[in-house]
Amino acid sequence: MIAHLRPHRPRRAACAIQAHAYVEAAFSRIAALRDEPPPTGAPSLPTRFLRHADEQTVVAVRAVLEASTLLPEPVAAARCGVVAAPCQAGRIATARSLALLQTGGAVTVSPHIVPQCSLHSVAGAVSVAFGMHGPHVGIGGGPDALSEGLFTALSLIDSGMPDPCDAVWLLVSDWESEPELDSHGEPLGEPVCRALAMLLAPEAAAAGTEPRIALVTPAGQWPADPPDEPDVDLAAFARAIDMCRSGMALASWAVNCPWGGRVRVEAGTESLVSSRREAA
Amino acid sequence: MTRTRQADEPVVITGLGAVSPLGSSFDGIADALLAGRSGVRAIDPGPHAREAVQFAAPVADIPAPADGDPAAGGFPQLDRLERLCLSAAATAVADSGLDAECGARIGIALGVGAEHLKSWELDFLAGGDGVFVGRRQPTLVHRLARRLKLRGPALTVAAACASSGYAMALGRAWIDAGWVDACVVGGCDILSPTSLAAFYNLRALSRRSDDPAKASRPFDGARDGFVMGEGGAFFMLERRCDAVQRGGRIRGELAGIGMSSDGVHMVIPSTESVHAARAISDALADAGVMPDEVDYINAHAAGTPVGDVAEAGAIRRAFGAAADSIPVSSTKSMSGHMISGAAAFEALACLAAIDRQAAPPTINLDHPDPQCPLDHVPHACRPRRIRVAASNSFGFGGSNLCLVLKAA
Repeated sequence: MIAHLRPHRPRRAACAIQAHAYVEAAFSRIAALRDEPPPTGAPSLPTRFLRHADEQTVVAVRAVLEASTLLPEPVAAARCGVVAAPCQAGRIATARSLALLQTGGAVTVSPHIVPQCSLHSVAGAVSVAFGMHGPHVGIGGGPDALSEGLFTALSLIDSGMPDPCDAVWLLVSDWESEPELDSHGEPLGEPVCRALAMLLAPEAAAAGTEPRIALVTPAGQWPADPPDEPDVDLAAFARAIDMCRSGMALASWAVNCPWGGRVRVEAGTESLVSSRREAA
Repeated sequence: MTRTRQADEPVVITGLGAVSPLGSSFDGIADALLAGRSGVRAIDPGPHAREAVQFAAPVADIPAPADGDPAAGGFPQLDRLERLCLSAAATAVADSGLDAECGARIGIALGVGAEHLKSWELDFLAGGDGVFVGRRQPTLVHRLARRLKLRGPALTVAAACASSGYAMALGRAWIDAGWVDACVVGGCDILSPTSLAAFYNLRALSRRSDDPAKASRPFDGARDGFVMGEGGAFFMLERRCDAVQRGGRIRGELAGIGMSSDGVHMVIPSTESVHAARAISDALADAGVMPDEVDYINAHAAGTPVGDVAEAGAIRRAFGAAADSIPVSSTKSMSGHMISGAAAFEALACLAAIDRQAAPPTINLDHPDPQCPLDHVPHACRPRRIRVAASNSFGFGGSNLCLVLKAA
């Protein structure tokens, strides 16, 4: 008996997407991407910083660089936090390491495998690369990375931004389809790695035209055994944000969390008003 | 600017569970910590890591959930990480007295940093091909949620050695925001050949194989690295008013949380300690306590030459003159470093200090490093009034976390 519990009312939390960028890179392209200069207007990286980084880290860092060029005003990196939600990151390096371990023993295990192939590695690399002093965390690691990353970033922003944060970078990354590896850990074929970077800020501090991400929870009980949700395609999610930013989307686009919450991408209120006027 | 917590209602700990090298019951662990008992011993890490490391702080026995507990089914067949987490989390749920099926919205935040890496490794060493195929499957936290019948949000959070502390922070944020009524939070880690070898090759581990129980020596002038441990802890968090109303036993309050990043290096902590100190100061402000109101500090201090000095600097910077008279110890000298599980286990050590009114010691602290000028508790526990305790956790990538716990 839990008569003390509050009624389960519907609830909404939201934040604004100040900038976003989606990047795809085929496996064979990633080696070059490690040392590629940043785009014009983006901050520079420490020399050879991505030398030992996982593929998802390399592509996620590129997405942050691309998104940085789209900001109307520079954001102080030191005042940002990072939430990174990769999916099965570090698998290629782990496979190579295990193949070597079996034949060459402990001496062959790379000291980079823990800092570069763990769940926190993407977030840690972005935090270090750009000198961010807000908290950084890795989230999820599995097939629900997108909804879990969105929920975590919204939770951080909704509960009061930690000092000294003005904004949180949310990075979601995966392989378009999981690469199959040979017995040495080398990918077969040409898998595509992809990442979406979003700079999120409290709704109250945002411009009216910026797209929103909103989390809504239903009233009443959560489902006892929620249905499995189909994988949400990262590219489609990025396109939905593009449409909302351009004011083209009158309808919102949603991701269902396995526990019953629903994350929606929404056009900024001023964009919607403007679009409706044009439509009229 | 300091983070402003938007909720007024305190969040308290009403259930706890642990699996550790020092035992699996709260009283047993508290006894071991206050007695200065070491959980470090010689181990055989298997044929693949034997050349690197031959000692650690392993968990000897993983208690299965009680008969009749729905989490108990198929327990022996689960992999080691899942058994550790399930054992400690199921104990925390049972200890809280909250019935997961009674309609409460209970979430779970799991602090584990390398679930996939270890899952692939264990599978590979058992002859599997999972790492080469890469099937996307539900993560450990979702399997735990189903076994524990928790219907709320279920997330894995990783911040290296601060992971399980960040899980506690996330759980409190969900409660504050009203997403959940209660939340299971914590984390565990396991020893594995790859992690032992990787940390060894990183030169982060102690190499004192001649006397394992003396190898973990945080703050000591002769320290040469940390000793890996395994295990961790879980807690049930809920609002104080809810706990009081249902007659739940309040073990302590999760009163303050501070989080920051160095933003400097993927492995080495910033020697300037500015951002680590800010995490501590933010946690104190969040808890509404002044530095001189803290009665005990459980240091992260793993026993690495650079990390211990950096942390001593952060403590002195954050606490100022009060640092001269607040007892500081590192329970990793006894438990080893549980990596993802360390922050939660050390929060439990703070609850033990509050419960027993004594600061646990740092064992093996024969000659305190003059670069770590703190009020150490060497060798034996120090009885004193403890109402407020702070626990630091610092991880790879410059991840900084401080938790402040208050007596119930």
